[in-house]
Amino acid sequence: MKSTTLLFIGILFFPIVVAAQGRGTATPARNPNPPTSPVTGNAVNGKALYYNHGCYGCHGFNGETGRAFVGNWSSNLANEENFIRFLRARANVAPATPSTSMPNFPENSLSDKQAKDIYAYIRTFKSNAPPLQNIPALNEIVKAASRPYKP
Amino acid sequence: MAKSHKDSVNRRGFLKGAAAGAAAGAAALVTNVETSEAQRGGGGQRGTAAAPGGAPPPTPEQVTRDAGNVQPPATARAITRPGSDLMTQVLRDLGVEYVAANPGSSFEGLQESLINYGNPPNKMPEFITALHEESAVTMAHGYGKAEGKPMCALLHGTIGVQHAAMSIYQAYYDRTPVLLLAGRDEGFIAAHTAHDMAGMVRSYTKWDAQPKTLDDSLIAIQRAYNEAITPPCGPTLVVLDIELQKEEAKAAKVPAYQSPRITGIESAQAKDIAKGLLDAQNPRIAVGRLRTPQGVKNAVELAELVGACTSTSATNGPMSFPQRHPLCGPGFSTTYDYTLGLETAGAQASITSPGLATLLSRDVTNIGFGGIAPGSGARGGGGARGGRGGAAAGPALALTADAEASLPAILEEVKRQLTADKRRAIQDRTAKHTEANQKARVEAIMQAVEAKRSGWDASPVSTARIYSELWPLIMNEDWCLSSPSGFSGGHNAQLWDHNKPYSYLGGQGAGGMGYGAPASVGAALAAKSRGRIVINVQTDGDLNYAPGVLWTAVHHKLPMLTVMHNNRAWHQELMFVEYMCGVRGRGTDRGHIGTSLRDPYIDYAKMAAGYGMASDGPISDPKLLAAALKRGVESVKKGNPYLIDVITQPR
Repeated sequence: MKSTTLLFIGILFFPIVVAAQGRGTATPARNPNPPTSPVTGNAVNGKALYYNHGCYGCHGFNGETGRAFVGNWSSNLANEENFIRFLRARANVAPATPSTSMPNFPENSLSDKQAKDIYAYIRTFKSNAPPLQNIPALNEIVKAASRPYKP
Repeated sequence: MAKSHKDSVNRRGFLKGAAAGAAAGAAALVTNVETSEAQRGGGGQRGTAAAPGGAPPPTPEQVTRDAGNVQPPATARAITRPGSDLMTQVLRDLGVEYVAANPGSSFEGLQESLINYGNPPNKMPEFITALHEESAVTMAHGYGKAEGKPMCALLHGTIGVQHAAMSIYQAYYDRTPVLLLAGRDEGFIAAHTAHDMAGMVRSYTKWDAQPKTLDDSLIAIQRAYNEAITPPCGPTLVVLDIELQKEEAKAAKVPAYQSPRITGIESAQAKDIAKGLLDAQNPRIAVGRLRTPQGVKNAVELAELVGACTSTSATNGPMSFPQRHPLCGPGFSTTYDYTLGLETAGAQASITSPGLATLLSRDVTNIGFGGIAPGSGARGGGGARGGRGGAAAGPALALTADAEASLPAILEEVKRQLTADKRRAIQDRTAKHTEANQKARVEAIMQAVEAKRSGWDASPVSTARIYSELWPLIMNEDWCLSSPSGFSGGHNAQLWDHNKPYSYLGGQGAGGMGYGAPASVGAALAAKSRGRIVINVQTDGDLNYAPGVLWTAVHHKLPMLTVMHNNRAWHQELMFVEYMCGVRGRGTDRGHIGTSLRDPYIDYAKMAAGYGMASDGPISDPKLLAAALKRGVESVKKGNPYLIDVITQPR
């Protein structure tokens, strides 16, 4: 029943981690538009690395769900340098008490080249969201919200 | 106590012979078999080939008998009025609808009575076939949350109690009434019995008994029921010796049942609270989890009488204030001058039931019984907030009592103190709250749908899309979301209207896995006779603990739609392990080991078909989702459970 125990601990622990990490941490600026800086990595390699290193776990397979990139681009993703600095700073400064709930990525586990490949893949993400008027289900939900309450 | 004639050697000899006979019978039956519609691939969208083997279909006579309309023939019997008939009558009188179990010889007497006693037999209660005791108890857990009253689970000896232990633990932490009966057979297999069988789960059951006589057994079942429904609610257990089940009842009678007297607050306290609510310019009622639908009804009446806007925990769990009621919301002003908390915190007054002692609060040298936690009852959490603005008016009146039982006295006092002037002010305030809450609701929905658009056409399918596509299909039905939605994004909280006491049944209780599907079967048992459908958004890791409940859903024709949130992992654990890999600087690329369900992927549509359930999928193209959900909803509306395997984004 190990997973049960871990999940239970996780449920309790996860919000605490997130809350504690929020203290005194400057929130990076976020931009609805994707960065336009040069990309030198290989997005095909990056796709495999994005999967194998579990980036999809929080950011979704397409960067649109969970802690989404699309429409919410952090300044840490403004260019390759920022991205790598973000990964390394977190690993080297305080590995036991990381500053966010994202894992640390020291160079011995993810090289600069691999990081650039992942960055290249992240930069391929774009919105798959149709306009609201083209989504019947969401329109029905909006319409229903105005209906009077029926006990 | 009369000892029944029982010789373990003879009995084993009988069993051996029976097994041989059964094997021969089975060999004869495997020819010319028919498989269920789903197993042949015709019931769902899956086109699997017909599977060989399986049991023959029941005869029309068997179906008629299973429906409970035919009394078994009265032949010459050694025992004409067994004790277990009276036990069954006690359950019937208590209004217990279902008894779930997988078979065990230690309760064979009671099982025989359940399926044969009375007219019609096997009704109220109806025997529900479970494939595991953990499933049986979690079914009762789900049922208890949906209806606010106990369902029964039968457990077989020490082994059944231990199989059930995890589910009992969850129901205990979830303060859910569950009635457990365990068979005890001292003369058969030594490893299956114990002098104090209930001791194995005592620290997380509210009450237990091991009666010595039939009369005491009947009283114990009634008391166990009462203890289960008396706050703090929880699972209770009666151990029934097999001799008590089998012996002639002689002059024993079913005792008259007296429902428990659940006390609320004192009348003077009710008077003060009524005055506080009526004197306030902008009162608020924060509603947590009440016990029964009647409590919810009374809370609505109170809010309407005093014109108070309310908060609800209906998006966290069952038995709270209707989310779309015109008074539910922040109201026209968030400066509240009197906030009453019902089973949650309130700035001026709160009424909360005592809690159950947790294992962490116990004396380690004397674990003792589960039960009421010392000094409990004034807890401040519980979901809904009391709202801002009330704290300056004075310290909270924290009352330890059952809020639901307190409401009639408060209602009576409010009605007594209401004046014409106050009625007019309340009418005006109610109108302003109604307008403001409606506006807030529409704004919240607009924000929510905008957020849910993100990843709408992504493959694998976004969890937001599952909940978004489902809601229009069920919003005009009587529905119950039985599965915890926390791991699936909790999108129902923002998109759906939780207006019934059973709209959303909330979390597992103790965070244990293996809960969603069996709890949904329990909720579907409650739904079946009430024209309701049950939605189970099922996480894949959770289903693999107790997939056999899919068969139970098919066998009993339960209106349960299961939509897999199949992210092919215990995803929460995957993230934790990756995080730990990162913290230690050793790379995250092995974090999937032991946390993911790949190589091979599990095909849940095939799994469902194997249990005879109609199914769809696996679906990873979001454009195929809506049609599949529609097929599923139509199926469950006809009483046929359905499973749709959706390959999803992680969260």
